[in-house]
Amino acid sequence: MKHFTKLAAAALALTVAATSAPADETEELFVPNLAYRTGPFAATGIPLMNGQRDYALMLNARDGGVGGVKLNFEECETGYNTQKGVECYEKTKGQAIVTQPWSTGITLQVLPKTNVDKIPVLAPGYGFSPMADGKVFQWAYNMPGSYWDAASMILKYISDGDLGALNGKTIAFLHLDHPYGKEPLPFLEAMAKEHGFTLEPIPVGLKEMQNQSAQWLQIRRMRPDYVVMWGWGAMNAGAITEAVKTKYPMDQFVGVWWSGHDADLKIVGDKGKGYKAISFSRPVLDAPVLADLKKYVYDAGDSLSNDEERSGVFYNRGLVISMILTEAIATAQANFDKAKIGPEELRWGLENLNITEARLEELGMSGMVAPFSTSCGDHTGHSGGWMLEWDGTKFTQASDHLTPDSAVIRPMEIEGAKAYADANAPWPVNESCDAQAG
Amino acid sequence: MFYRTAGQFKTTYRDDQALFPIRQDGVLVAVILILAWAVFPFIANEFTFQTLLIPILIYSLAALGLNVLTGYAGQLSLGTAAFMGVGAYACYKMLTIMPWLDPIIAVLLSGFFSAGIGVVFGIPSLRIKGFYLAIATLAAQFFLVWLFEKWAWLYNYNASGAIQAPNITSVFAGGNYVSGPLATSFTQYYMVLGITTLLTILTINMTRGTLGRTWKATRDMDFAAELIGINLMRSKLSAFAVSSYIVGVAGALFVFMWRGAAEPNLFDIPLSFTILFIAIIGGLGSILGNYLGAILIVGLPVVLNTVPAALGIPLESAFVEHLNLMIVGGLIIFFLIVEPHGLARLWGLARQKLIVWPFPY
Repeated sequence: MKHFTKLAAAALALTVAATSAPADETEELFVPNLAYRTGPFAATGIPLMNGQRDYALMLNARDGGVGGVKLNFEECETGYNTQKGVECYEKTKGQAIVTQPWSTGITLQVLPKTNVDKIPVLAPGYGFSPMADGKVFQWAYNMPGSYWDAASMILKYISDGDLGALNGKTIAFLHLDHPYGKEPLPFLEAMAKEHGFTLEPIPVGLKEMQNQSAQWLQIRRMRPDYVVMWGWGAMNAGAITEAVKTKYPMDQFVGVWWSGHDADLKIVGDKGKGYKAISFSRPVLDAPVLADLKKYVYDAGDSLSNDEERSGVFYNRGLVISMILTEAIATAQANFDKAKIGPEELRWGLENLNITEARLEELGMSGMVAPFSTSCGDHTGHSGGWMLEWDGTKFTQASDHLTPDSAVIRPMEIEGAKAYADANAPWPVNESCDAQAG
Repeated sequence: MFYRTAGQFKTTYRDDQALFPIRQDGVLVAVILILAWAVFPFIANEFTFQTLLIPILIYSLAALGLNVLTGYAGQLSLGTAAFMGVGAYACYKMLTIMPWLDPIIAVLLSGFFSAGIGVVFGIPSLRIKGFYLAIATLAAQFFLVWLFEKWAWLYNYNASGAIQAPNITSVFAGGNYVSGPLATSFTQYYMVLGITTLLTILTINMTRGTLGRTWKATRDMDFAAELIGINLMRSKLSAFAVSSYIVGVAGALFVFMWRGAAEPNLFDIPLSFTILFIAIIGGLGSILGNYLGAILIVGLPVVLNTVPAALGIPLESAFVEHLNLMIVGGLIIFFLIVEPHGLARLWGLARQKLIVWPFPY
């Protein structure tokens, strides 16, 4: 009986909890974030989440939200766990106008449901690269750049703009053995075939992230000309310390934008000098927006961050990501002439986003991200980015503005999107778009 | 009071050996079945379906499979997740090679693949026992997950290495979609519930029959069992086969009727441990225990997560998560101290007390 009452009580609590979950407050825009501040990836997650959160709080305090409606920037903890992520998605989708999945695994899980639930997925700089094809992925956005963009810019940088120069060279591709790490492989393989360099994929299992001695032994034997890294969480610090230990020349070691975290490099300090990471954002520490953040959020004691973190690449990227979202909200508000927009209106906003140099200036964020715009057919925007280099204490800009090779990437995106749609048939396609216009 | 057995006389051996020798047990099971079949699906919302009802059933089924092997036949296994993976990948390959195949049939067939693999990895059990066998099954765990990653044919050379459940209809669901994004949770729930109920009934029958007695004899003392004429090889391998079949079906359901997509490392060792914990905390060698264990391990954290918000306590999501881990961990330790034989035994004791209530004897 005891158990039966317990079960009944649990069932009751459940129904109560399920029905009374996040009360719909009409005067708020519910923009939940599927954050991860716990688990093996927390170290890289926290600064991003803090940046995103602080930007939303700043808008709420300074402007009363966006268009006069406050943002409810609630976090739902996933621990980078796909199952938890789906739980969060189900929990928030009732009121949410956007889903920010924060993991390639969760994005892949949520992606097929978007056509049914009609909530846009915003995955800035991550997720499935063919999401760029807005004709097929009507509800998914990964501006300002996809992984294929990142891979393209890295190749461009190491070859000084001429991929033919890589002929005969060897590139080791050190990646997390996870959908995230495998994402750029099709692009890199195609490039290797076309330009005659050797690509050696070296996977790092989730269990081996902290101990990569086997992988680095392989790298030492192979003597590749470059090591390109697609690492995340604990894997970055593991790879960088291991590279220092095996004395791999740091200036031949390049990471994706999620592998350019200040704290990972601080562990090795001076010995990490020369390590580079491509980035679609860069910290501009005297940007006016930071002064506003200080005034409205930090000084009010609402921030969960600290000064050291705030000067880092990831925190500033969090700001940029929240800016992309709030600008899309503002775009939608202006177009539909109402402040309280729904997910379908936000979808329009995300699709017609135009972040110009002038707009960045107005936002006080000039230089933090390159200007870009999205369209019905192009959900990525392909802003390009900069190569950042570790100088022993911080990341500094090491290149001019780089752009991805869209002429090569675009057909691959369309092909990838088509394969996805075919595998998931019947998949609705937005026929009104011209997907070729990338 | 609720369990008064006065007046229930057994006049035949058949009555005495019935599945529910006490009428109230039958009533209780009937109530639970009515709740599961006719009440929950109509009051549940999407969130409840996706985070509680469907996963609890699937995890219970996987734990049931493990329980056949570990609880009834006494062979410790740490490879459950890998066998679930075999079921899931087999189902995926069957559905992509033969798109005309009904997904429910495919799910039921996919269990045979994992049963086959299970028997192969069960062969060492003929020579080694206990912890040593656990290590042999651990080898299965590592090998199979490695295979899921490396053998690109298994995931149809998909660039991300993940498998995705396609949109497929089933005649068993009246022509509705049962897998893929177009499937409704309502349909999926009934499919999962149907298969779980079916396999549970079959397992109850099996464990009460000759096969079950053979397994129990093997578990309790294998050489004694051999002396009375039980063929240990058949007993152990049949346990591996039946167990892996159920686990494989659970794995196929896991991907096709619930998650919708899966990457290889989903079937890694943490999932094996989760299922082992469900079986241990629920109670080894019991059927009911799997369900109680799954409710505790899978359902409780989800419910706990919604409590602060429902009560209007503003807590950071990450903080709730940490709190959750502590509470669930504490409860697991508590239950194991109170009753090391699991929740099923706890319920058995409570039931016994209720039968003799209000007298202690």
